[in-house]
Amino acid sequence: MALSLEELLKLPPEEMLKHNEKPTGEQLRHKQQVYYDDVQEGMELPKYIYGPMTPTHLFRWSAAVENWHRIHYDLPFATNHDKLPGILVQGSWKQSIMASYLKDWARPNGWFWKASFQHRAMLVPGDILIVWGKVIKKYAKGGMGFVELEIGMKNQDGIESMPGTATVVLPLRGGRPIPYPFVPPEE
Amino acid sequence: MTQQRESVLTPEVKALIGVKGEVVECWGTVDEEYLRRFMQAIMDPDPLYWDEGFARQSRYGERITPPIMVTYMPSRLPPWEEDPITRAFRENPFSDGIGGVRQRGGLPPIPTKLVRILNAGNDIEVYKFPSIGDKVYYQSMYRDIREHVGRDGTPFLTVVVETRFWNQKNELLCITRAATIRR
Repeated sequence: MALSLEELLKLPPEEMLKHNEKPTGEQLRHKQQVYYDDVQEGMELPKYIYGPMTPTHLFRWSAAVENWHRIHYDLPFATNHDKLPGILVQGSWKQSIMASYLKDWARPNGWFWKASFQHRAMLVPGDILIVWGKVIKKYAKGGMGFVELEIGMKNQDGIESMPGTATVVLPLRGGRPIPYPFVPPEE
Repeated sequence: MTQQRESVLTPEVKALIGVKGEVVECWGTVDEEYLRRFMQAIMDPDPLYWDEGFARQSRYGERITPPIMVTYMPSRLPPWEEDPITRAFRENPFSDGIGGVRQRGGLPPIPTKLVRILNAGNDIEVYKFPSIGDKVYYQSMYRDIREHVGRDGTPFLTVVVETRFWNQKNELLCITRAATIRR
């Protein structure tokens, strides 16, 4: 039985890692569809745990997307020049992680449609990151199930670094397929 | 007597709402190597990215890419560009590493004395995963510019820049909206 976010945050960091629900590639291959009918308001999504983050993780991201901002890999610059607590986990990495997380929840036949978030608390190497989501509303429209989520990424101390909302479109049991490319129903 | 404060949403600033940058073709294509490095950097082992046989059986009928991967393709500088890092540090030895790097398709600067820029949030909308080999195009626009007043009575602006990404078949891939505060 998966722990709730609240229960998870009461654990010491090394214990948190044992409750990581992030699937392997093989598990993704066999992931069963979550249907709109099975979703309830207040329901939590599986929690993905990353870390402890290291400068190498950050540098790998900067190199992959050609982001040369020194606050992500140059510690003297980050702390002395920009007076930051350390090199910072990139906001662009966090939003890409969130997009993958929502893609996974929707699969194999749903669709992660949209998300909106803010970058708040700074995350640094050594932090453990917990990606979470919670259903706040659901409605059916145009033969598709729309699920609105509260989303975020907390560190091991429970500090929220990326609060936001998202909309994932899930199929109804016995309903029509979600179109691909995705076409939202008319207002 | 109340002194009337000066609006920062001047007619010149307001006139930028709806103004678009040029259409830019990202350097290269959506390619295997970019995909591999990207998926490893976000630690997403999804076989839909790399297992052709598995992906062919999926609803997509082909391999996919991470949902917002294409939004980072504008960072790829074409090989004919002057080395931006060397230039940035020549101009400023304490460069933050991005200050001197121009992104193609940039929007005209906002004519304001408010120079401090703060990130106020991001929206993303996803419609399609590009295919391997796709060309990617993008265009930015000032979607919205509004004036607000801080608790201390000082006016500031919120600026929303919308960027649309599409492929060579004119298929919409995704839309991003980046909101910044100008103080």
